[in-house]
Amino acid sequence: MSTTTISPGLRQLLGEMREGIPGGRVPARIFNDQEIFDLEQDKLFSKAWCFLAHETEIPKKGDYVVRYIANNSIIVVRDEHGNITANLNMCRHRGNMMCKSEMGNASHFRCSYHGWVYKNSGELIGVPMFKEGYEGQLDRSQWGLVKVRTETYAGLIFGTIDPQAPDLEDYLGGFQFYLDIYLKQGLGGSEVHGPPDHWVAETDWKICAENFSGDGYHTPVAHQFGFHLGYFPSSGSTHSEGWAVNIPNKGHAIGLGHTPGMPAFFGYPDELVEQMHQSLSPEQLEIFSKTRTAVGSVFPNLSFLIQPFSLDPGEPGVRFCTMRLWHPIGPGRMEMWSWCLVPTDASEEYKEAAYKAYTLTFGQAGTFEQDDFENWIKVTRAAGSTMARDVEFPYVMGLERPKLEDFPGPGHAVSPYVTDTNFRNLWSTWLDYLTREE
Amino acid sequence: MTLQAAEVDRETRESIKDFLYRESLALDEQRFRDWLTAFAEDARYEIPVRVTREKLSEWELSPNSRIFDDTKETLEVRVKRLETDFAWSEQPASRTRHFITNILVEPTERADEFRVLSNCLVYRSRGDETTPSLFSAQRRDVVRRDGGGWLIVHRWAALDQAVVNAHNMSIFI
Repeated sequence: MSTTTISPGLRQLLGEMREGIPGGRVPARIFNDQEIFDLEQDKLFSKAWCFLAHETEIPKKGDYVVRYIANNSIIVVRDEHGNITANLNMCRHRGNMMCKSEMGNASHFRCSYHGWVYKNSGELIGVPMFKEGYEGQLDRSQWGLVKVRTETYAGLIFGTIDPQAPDLEDYLGGFQFYLDIYLKQGLGGSEVHGPPDHWVAETDWKICAENFSGDGYHTPVAHQFGFHLGYFPSSGSTHSEGWAVNIPNKGHAIGLGHTPGMPAFFGYPDELVEQMHQSLSPEQLEIFSKTRTAVGSVFPNLSFLIQPFSLDPGEPGVRFCTMRLWHPIGPGRMEMWSWCLVPTDASEEYKEAAYKAYTLTFGQAGTFEQDDFENWIKVTRAAGSTMARDVEFPYVMGLERPKLEDFPGPGHAVSPYVTDTNFRNLWSTWLDYLTREE
Repeated sequence: MTLQAAEVDRETRESIKDFLYRESLALDEQRFRDWLTAFAEDARYEIPVRVTREKLSEWELSPNSRIFDDTKETLEVRVKRLETDFAWSEQPASRTRHFITNILVEPTERADEFRVLSNCLVYRSRGDETTPSLFSAQRRDVVRRDGGGWLIVHRWAALDQAVVNAHNMSIFI
């Protein structure tokens, strides 16, 4: 499948990066480069498990959403049997786009060009002039929509276009333990509050993915207003406290920030905390009960954040949870989807409060979100400049930090929360994909 | 809505138009504290998420997803933020120009409140970027008589883009 040839210059860059990462050096150029983008399309997004949708976006038979894997438009549907299935959004006859809307409900898809009709699960069932034109000589079973392999974990639907990809369980490699903080908020799990915010930005997706792999370091500066005005229950002096955990060679990572003296599970309603004592394991409870901020990413580009926000300075406030997809559409350019996940079994009152906290902080007009993208477009612009092609960034924070041997969760855990440990693993995993021989 | 002229007297219509122009001028001049005074204490400020749907779908503007979902209290949080030295998304500040046109004033069930429809185009220029952000929206406001002036009780603005072509929305519509 791979067609991209790596230029000698790029080969050298990736070779130097391989040598540089263990010592904490990453080249700036990877954050805005056409060749890197092309290689990622071919060797990363065409090989990894890519996030498509949350099951609660398509609750009823016939519900569908249209999403992407690399630059492929994919229809994700709950078929007439209730099964989740995904197909390339392209008519097999002459390639027209089947679904032109972002979401909807349909039992069948009919092409607007020559009228081929497919079941929502992708089987071709209707061909105009089947007798007169094709004289019955078209084997409809051979010309269904192109299938995409899907698997789910706790409501998350992933797809891959690599038939050789390992199972999702293997791919996640234990990161499920940490995903549960977002996905098992209570016995009923989590659901999307509604359709996602959706926008484009002149930003390289990797900057965002790294930030959400546990960049607690930026928070007191990039989001200083939140500390300053008391809306965010942490302080600069203790903000480094907590854990950073990654799954070695898988790329997944999470930062778990603590606020000393804060009660367990603060900001969650009591009934939800009671439910979490049943939905989570003792090891998960031990970690999550202390967590103020959980900022994590499934490699390569799906991220999550739980954090409290309070309109009354000094109060614990309300927890909200966002899930976001950083989808590359060009070097230094991305399309962004951002959802709010709410606990399915929580009261409507809590769901609304959590959603309002989300829109005020991490929706497209969110006060935290605004500042992040303002920084990220500037990083992207600088990384695309000619002098930046020879510049490296330091990833040396926590280089000597030993792994916590008694940490109750899987993966490589270190403390404090503020460290580059997760990012070194992220970029070395990314490099594994880009340099993997067929 | 009928194609015939609304039953609102000319003086009221002109007075509301004048108010909305002054309100948008406060935004364009970055007088955000002044701007807040345009809103009633019980005001709502909403920008729904638009989703591309088939033509006959039940909705295209999400009934439950919002880009802005604000009260006067949360609008004030945003303004307080802009008044700190750490509102990086507006450092340096965006240069905005609000173009408000096609204003229609309709009566409501309350004698002191009017529904105001308008088209709103916001041009935003940032720093040395030569490509501006353009936000085109339909607004449906409800304004309430307040002494000799007006207060916005409800601002509802629906952007025309389903995928918003801007890295953030650090401005107000």
